[in-house]
Amino acid sequence: MAHRVDPDQRVDLAPLLEVLASRFRPRDDQEAYELIVGACQEAQRLYGWVPPEAAQAIADHLGVTINRIYGLLTFYADFRTEPPGKHFLWLCHGAACYVMGSSRLIELLRDRYQLEDHGVSPDGEFTLHVFNGCLGVCDLAPVIQVDHHEYWGRLTPERLEAAIEALKRGRGVEDADGTAG
Amino acid sequence: MARLADRQAFEHYAAQAQARWERLWAGDHWIISVGISECSIAKGALETYRHLELLLAQEGIPATLRRVGCAGWCFAEPFVEVRAPGAPPVVYGNITTDRVPELVHALKRGGVKTEWALGVRADEPFAGVQPLSQHPFLARQRRLLFADAGVIDPESIDDYIARGGYRAFLKALFEMTPEEVVAEVKASNLRGRGGAGFPAGIKWESGRRTQAWPKYVVVNSHEGEPNVFKDRRLLETNPHLVLEGLLIGCYALETPHGYNYIGGEHALAVKRFQEAVRQAYELGLLGDNILGTGFSCHIRVRTGGGAYICGEGSALMYAIMGQRGQPRTKPPRSVEEGLWKRPTVLNNTETFASVPSIVLNGGAWYASLGTEQSSGTKLVTIQGPVKRLGVAEIEMGMTMRELIFEVFGGMREGYRFKGVQTGGVSAGPLREDQLDVPVDFDSMTELGGMLGSGGFVVFDESVCAVDFARYLTAFNRYESCSKCNPCRLGNPALVEILDRVRNGYGRPQDLDIIREASKHIIELSLCGLGQVAPMPLLGMMKAFPEEFDAHIREKRCPANVCPISEAALATVGDD
Repeated sequence: MAHRVDPDQRVDLAPLLEVLASRFRPRDDQEAYELIVGACQEAQRLYGWVPPEAAQAIADHLGVTINRIYGLLTFYADFRTEPPGKHFLWLCHGAACYVMGSSRLIELLRDRYQLEDHGVSPDGEFTLHVFNGCLGVCDLAPVIQVDHHEYWGRLTPERLEAAIEALKRGRGVEDADGTAG
Repeated sequence: MARLADRQAFEHYAAQAQARWERLWAGDHWIISVGISECSIAKGALETYRHLELLLAQEGIPATLRRVGCAGWCFAEPFVEVRAPGAPPVVYGNITTDRVPELVHALKRGGVKTEWALGVRADEPFAGVQPLSQHPFLARQRRLLFADAGVIDPESIDDYIARGGYRAFLKALFEMTPEEVVAEVKASNLRGRGGAGFPAGIKWESGRRTQAWPKYVVVNSHEGEPNVFKDRRLLETNPHLVLEGLLIGCYALETPHGYNYIGGEHALAVKRFQEAVRQAYELGLLGDNILGTGFSCHIRVRTGGGAYICGEGSALMYAIMGQRGQPRTKPPRSVEEGLWKRPTVLNNTETFASVPSIVLNGGAWYASLGTEQSSGTKLVTIQGPVKRLGVAEIEMGMTMRELIFEVFGGMREGYRFKGVQTGGVSAGPLREDQLDVPVDFDSMTELGGMLGSGGFVVFDESVCAVDFARYLTAFNRYESCSKCNPCRLGNPALVEILDRVRNGYGRPQDLDIIREASKHIIELSLCGLGQVAPMPLLGMMKAFPEEFDAHIREKRCPANVCPISEAALATVGDD
């Protein structure tokens, strides 16, 4: 799913507070600290990023300082502290994808769409995360995971461009999906 | 479901689970299983499943449709196993939605789709299909951890128990003292599967010896290297096996506190392990006073935030404690002062998963597998342009050549083998003439390679050694936790020099500068990951010196990958 959060709008904290109340109930300080990252991951799942209001809500709920929260948000690569674009591209840059040409995909996104790692494209359509680990779907290398559930596999710069253009036009991506071809 | 109160209750429950399993496979009705894992989902397995459900109903085939885990054959995903009444189960590969109608029609006619079949689960060929065990991908494997992969439903504790699961835990709990468990693990010579290869039994023994409480047992399922995906496949396909190993570990350390730290990216692995924990609690295999023995155990699952460094032991513990995951100086070692400053035994996922079979069959049995110094089996993944991509489980000691060219099928059409990167981002590559080295903990080290966590990347002639070295070094630069200077400053410097070389401005003395800077990083970095960060680069320089030379002296990239600049080209021959 694409996250639809208007950056100017206030964040609706209700769903986050509900998750925190039901699943994040530390019995002591030790556990409160252990739960921070998981709580931030929940926030990011809900909003597509961790808005300041959400970070504050987590800090209040777990009884830790906001500094502690941001210390972690800025350390771990998975977290975003800025609103994302409409679609999320998770580009695997693991060794298998590198060997099969992921660098050329990164170049295309940079040159053609002004899309850098952890950045948002100027038209607000896309956020890119270059993942240095391995997505574990190496048979599709080089591969991009789109909006957390779809995979574009065995990409070339040409096929990636076609897939992006199709997505921008709001079409399904199945026809550009490496698995269908 | 009521918690099982004692051993007898478990035995009763297990007998029932086994009876149900046997009834299911009695052979009198249709069973169709679809492998659902991260990589099969990426290739459309969920659609295949839905399609099958629909068409089977339409065609009036009354089949039990099952979800099973991954069987390691990424190259054949999505796979579908069909058990027709009175026939042995036939496994089909690459059943994407467009193939489903034809498959179902063939089944309806009572036929077998021979050309799509990977094999039949039987000792004899069936309808022209060879036994699965003779498939070239599987024939040379020795599967202990992956024995039931693709056979059982990973989200069913009953399936696991029906196949003999939790027998090892019960044996430890009722028939062995914690010391005896540690003695068996020691006798097995099981060495850490995360890469360091430290004997698990010795670690457990030190953990027992430290006199401080509480103690913790932690599974390292972080797996953040760019070239390995075995642990998450194991968690996806058989989460209870890892949980059972962890339980035995907790019993051996006599502690109720177990953790599994899983990389946050591995969503399905996290989900299935959490489900396994939930089921074990429900059944009374976790919680207080397990099976009336007085032994209690509680498991917490924590997820990572995408930092490679958190695979390092001390960094991982800080990460669990809600701090930035940065390593610290040792000593004290984790078995003395780890999580929350208490004795902590930390092992890799695969290490824990190996423990149940050791407890069941004895340490001596396990030690007889593999080689003398590297006992047992190892999960390995090979990536790159090979024919059969996937996860294989082999006995230690098979040669790299056999592994690449027999198990994984060699190079795809149109690709020529150039080298294989070993040890993740912590060691160098092997060339074609070095492939007869055994895959074990020690043999590759002499050649500049490393077993590491078992992730190998095969690359072909289209990959430039300088560019690949830059990629691997840039990974270490990006993932440096920035705590200590040699790693934080040294790796960017190496990348900078490599970029100079790639652009055609490399100088002959640059290679010496690389060696000198690498020496500092290796000798002065704080943690094990920093200390090996330059190894891939040094390895590439050693394995492919002529390519570095071509870039520097001739301003030429033999693979035609590097962006040699025109201006640099004009200077060829100037010096």
